[in-house]
Amino acid sequence: MNKAVESTEEAKAPSIEKPHETPEGWEPNILAFACHYCAFAAADLAGVMRLSYSPNVKIIRLPCTGKLDQIYVLRAFEKGIDGVFVAG
Amino acid sequence: MITGEQKPFEEIWNMVKDFKKVLVFGCNTCVAICHAGGGKEAEILASLLRMKASEEGIAIEINHNAVERHCEPEFFQPVMEDIRTYDLILSTACGVGVNLLSENIGDIPVFPAINTEFFGAVPRAGEFTELCAGCGNCILHLTGGICPIARCSKSLLNGPCGGTNNGSCEVSPDIKCAWVLIYDRMKKLNKLDLMKEINEAKDWSKAQGPRNFKVKVLEEIKK
Ligand code: SF4
Ligand code: SF4
Repeated sequence: MNKAVESTEEAKAPSIEKPHETPEGWEPNILAFACHYCAFAAADLAGVMRLSYSPNVKIIRLPCTGKLDQIYVLRAFEKGIDGVFVAG
Repeated sequence: MITGEQKPFEEIWNMVKDFKKVLVFGCNTCVAICHAGGGKEAEILASLLRMKASEEGIAIEINHNAVERHCEPEFFQPVMEDIRTYDLILSTACGVGVNLLSENIGDIPVFPAINTEFFGAVPRAGEFTELCAGCGNCILHLTGGICPIARCSKSLLNGPCGGTNNGSCEVSPDIKCAWVLIYDRMKKLNKLDLMKEINEAKDWSKAQGPRNFKVKVLEEIKK
């Protein structure tokens, strides 16, 4: 590939964030949006079966994952959530 | 309806980064339908800008609000007192809205968050197409209801040109040749004889801005 093409492609590529140092023992804050009828019911069943999951995962029940709106995800990130998990 | 698309995020960020209190102000009519500048999009944009500001370590208060229209003062007047407390209004309305709000708000800048494009039809949800360019002197009765000003790449009044290519325009295979559409339509309407008539040069003065008009009856009533 010639240099000129390479440099325009580089310019077009979105800037990539430098990876941050992960402090020792750091756990991400994960928010799960789960559909009432499937994923949330599965999580409920897991509870009944006394299966445990990490305390850094919080679940929000939605009537359907179709109810998920971009702004819910953005608000979660704004409030310091590190990862959003959608299950439905 | 008026169509538009949101500007690239970096361009918007560069507009707002030097202000301290910014309102992302949405318009819930045309630009909401094209998912560019309604209340929902204004809220999303405000959230993205807040995250960008925190990432850059810059303190800006960024809020959002929306009214039904920015192109008629009666819709934004009720929130005027509140929006005057900001030092920048980032409007997601079309250019008409940005102009009108600028004229009414006093010494607060109003910046555009979207690129206003054309007034268009919505043949299917999420799809917008330009069918009329608002030339001020309509000739659709001569062209089978298909506008050669908006839909022919050269706005030819007598077409097609030599570049017409099996129904497509020479500019792009994705553009239908407006004059082929006109021909087919005229054929259906049994009006092909009209195609032989030369359309004379239009009065383009009516297509030039700034344009305005007043409804005569209302003017009389006001008197
Ligand atoms: S002729 Fe002019 S007014 Fe009529 S559809 Fe075309 S651009 Fe619009
Ligand atoms: S090919 Fe048809 S649409 Fe394209 S410029 Fe010529 S007449 Fe106009």
